[in-house]
Amino acid sequence: MSSLTGLYFVVGCQSEGTNSNKISASVRSNVIDTKLNQFVSIGNDNSITLFNHRPEMGQGTFQSIPMIIAEELEVDIDKVIVRQAEANRALYGNQMVVGSRSIQTEFEKLRTMGATAREMLKQAAANKWGVSIEECTASKGTIVNSSGEILKYGELVKDAGSVKVPENPPLKKRAEFKVIGTSVARMDIPLKTNGKAKFGMDMSVSGMLYASVERSPVFLGTVTSIDESETLKVPGVKHVFKTSRQVYGNNREGVAVLAENYWAALQGRKKLKVEWDNKGLDKISGETIMKDSYKVAKNDGVELFGKGNAAQSFSNADQVIESAYETPYQAHVPMEPMNATVSIEEDRAEFWGSTQNPNGMKSLIAKKYNLSENAVKINYTFLGGGFGRRSMTDVVEEAADLSFQSKKPVKVIWTREDDQTQGPFRACSLNICKAVMGNNGNIEALEHKVIAQEIRNQTGDNMKAGRQLMGGITTDYLIPNLSVKGVLRKRHVPISYWRAVYHSTNPFAHECFIDELAHRANKDPLTFRLDMLENPRFRRVLTEIGKATNWYAPQIEGVGKGIAMVERSGAHFAMVVEVRKKDNKVIPTKITTVLDLGICINPDTVKAQTEGSIVMGLGAVYAGLTLSNGAMVEQNFNSYPLLTFGQCPEIETIILESDAAPDGAGESGLPTVAPAFVNAIFDLTGKRIRKLPLSMDDLSL
Amino acid sequence: MKVRSFGLCLYLKGLEKTNSMAKIDLSINGQSKTIDVDPQMPLLWAIRDFVGLTGTKFGCGIAQCGACTVYMDGKPSRSCVIPTASAVDKKITTIEGLSENNDHPVQLAWIAEQVPQCGYCQSGQIMSAAALLKDNPNPTDEEIDQAMSTVICRCGTYPRIKKAIKESLNL
Repeated sequence: MSSLTGLYFVVGCQSEGTNSNKISASVRSNVIDTKLNQFVSIGNDNSITLFNHRPEMGQGTFQSIPMIIAEELEVDIDKVIVRQAEANRALYGNQMVVGSRSIQTEFEKLRTMGATAREMLKQAAANKWGVSIEECTASKGTIVNSSGEILKYGELVKDAGSVKVPENPPLKKRAEFKVIGTSVARMDIPLKTNGKAKFGMDMSVSGMLYASVERSPVFLGTVTSIDESETLKVPGVKHVFKTSRQVYGNNREGVAVLAENYWAALQGRKKLKVEWDNKGLDKISGETIMKDSYKVAKNDGVELFGKGNAAQSFSNADQVIESAYETPYQAHVPMEPMNATVSIEEDRAEFWGSTQNPNGMKSLIAKKYNLSENAVKINYTFLGGGFGRRSMTDVVEEAADLSFQSKKPVKVIWTREDDQTQGPFRACSLNICKAVMGNNGNIEALEHKVIAQEIRNQTGDNMKAGRQLMGGITTDYLIPNLSVKGVLRKRHVPISYWRAVYHSTNPFAHECFIDELAHRANKDPLTFRLDMLENPRFRRVLTEIGKATNWYAPQIEGVGKGIAMVERSGAHFAMVVEVRKKDNKVIPTKITTVLDLGICINPDTVKAQTEGSIVMGLGAVYAGLTLSNGAMVEQNFNSYPLLTFGQCPEIETIILESDAAPDGAGESGLPTVAPAFVNAIFDLTGKRIRKLPLSMDDLSL
Repeated sequence: MKVRSFGLCLYLKGLEKTNSMAKIDLSINGQSKTIDVDPQMPLLWAIRDFVGLTGTKFGCGIAQCGACTVYMDGKPSRSCVIPTASAVDKKITTIEGLSENNDHPVQLAWIAEQVPQCGYCQSGQIMSAAALLKDNPNPTDEEIDQAMSTVICRCGTYPRIKKAIKESLNL
């Protein structure tokens, strides 16, 4: 790790009571900054400010985005100032952080921005010296010419601001990288060790009211009556308003209590009497949903991928192997409960808080309150976790509505129970896998059918399944007759993007089924996979994980090993989970992942993301949500336990060298945990597990 | 911390038959602060919304996740379930008071091992780890497991927390 001396940090919230770093303002009071583009600003004191245009939710792009710019700009990464950029689609494009895309989609753009600024500084120096630009070289915040003269960026930036912007600035080759590929310490980390980092929950605006909202536990319930008489007697309570928000096309109603402080709002909410019309949806349970899934699994559905003729293979076959796999609903539960602070005024609006989707917030507020986007200020803070939940704008919609109704800034805070019982959730799913084996022990035909809700298609009459449903099902295995099918179901349970999305459920079925078929063919599961693959990246990660885990060594008594491989956001990875017997139970003791994700910007950040993905994935193997009477049963961490420190196995992550363009790193490892773990349990105990979460029985010996 | 003019407030407010507000003196990080709150309000909200120290976090509200961990007379406590009134005469320490310059051995180890991701739970993690090491400067793996398994991290920073605790033993 390089040192962090001389670093300071400014968060994008400069509003009253929220400026997180007053030092920066005083230190830099006499400095004149010149912006060379929307990402690069240089002061006449040689200070370099780089603008990070993506929210930071723990994924580390607060550091890796500036690293990419600094690489081409030729400045020391540990001396730059990083500022959160404003929410501005025209300047920065889409700023949403989802699908592990920030590095994948922005890499070339960020390099070009750094290189453009560098070439402008070189041109300014060349003009000053009266030499050609080819005689100038950029290094460590200076331009040097062939006679050895040196000018600092701070001395050049004013002139550089008026030279012609180069159209195709040369980009560095990978061998020339000095910053990219190194484990630079993250600049946000010191702030996250002393309570100084500001999250949405920490925002405070003068005159604001706090709100807590009562909602029907049955998701689409509507309000039939409100009795707020006892609520209004609670000291500090100011208003009770009916409110609503849109969740994927469904209007969701609630009754909000607004008070001078949050505690008073909570006390007032306890005294509310609200009656709901639940429209008979309270008869739906997890069992009725799964029963329906098995019923519609008999339908053909939509073929999402096909080659050869799987149907014919099945009808000609003497024996068809079939397995069904079930996964439950999951909640995102970021540690920072959902919240938003919004002020809607006559001719302007302002938002303070944690969001994965700053542009979406801006558009939503502008549209709803008939304002121009310029009149909406978005102050996005650090996120106390996102995992997909904070890509949605529903909570801000609630806060905006309550600010509009009360004519005051309003901070809405969801309780943990609100978060866990209202969702939206990761979809539950049923996966039915069928196969025919050839005489040579290879797979002759395979059909994988996914029966689930689809995120982008939750209302209306369109019952056609989309390709999204087949996320995480590899089509790279060389199976002559392969068919992937989707059967779409619409349900009253709201669902949304959850880290790795369908890659968090489908591979559990697919990679477990491949394991079952390997066992039937009497082949080693790693060899079985390699024999079916030409894709060089899958072959590479499988070969390397074999070496790293000593896969082919003789089995040790009391130790089991399971393997799985997946591609997510371009990253190819293979995982081996090792399990052991402890106190008559099976526990995972070591998880090894080998990743090929192209050029790696910050290896330490990629490792951290893989560790986090594994912990989240493993948690979803042990726990899930149950639906009963139309509502989620588990309300808080006491009934929906997340993985704890003591349950976390040893984790090793190996990143392979590559010259290819960077892939996404934020979900690597999550899709493979469930299948590799369950395959390891089979290896140790001979039990095939096809339903998550695991039961106590699954783990006992 | 002292509950001041508690009776008087009750008397005045009692006319409206509402629950009581009270002027309460808190001792936080060596400083006294006077706030006017419902004495039953959890200490968490007193610290965050009335004193203005936001490093202590709300995570679950039922003492299950540890994000709200503060010290009361040196003992780690879940501020989300402790009524403000029951912190009377106690010395409260929050993450902001753990060290003056972010240089407690646990904080230094957290930075060296690059522990935080989103960072939201880390005040609770650091306060819990620092309390463990103060009482038990040489904890076994089992003792570390036991102490740290009560603080939840959704980002999954556990492997680094383990390394950082071990590293801080040497600082």
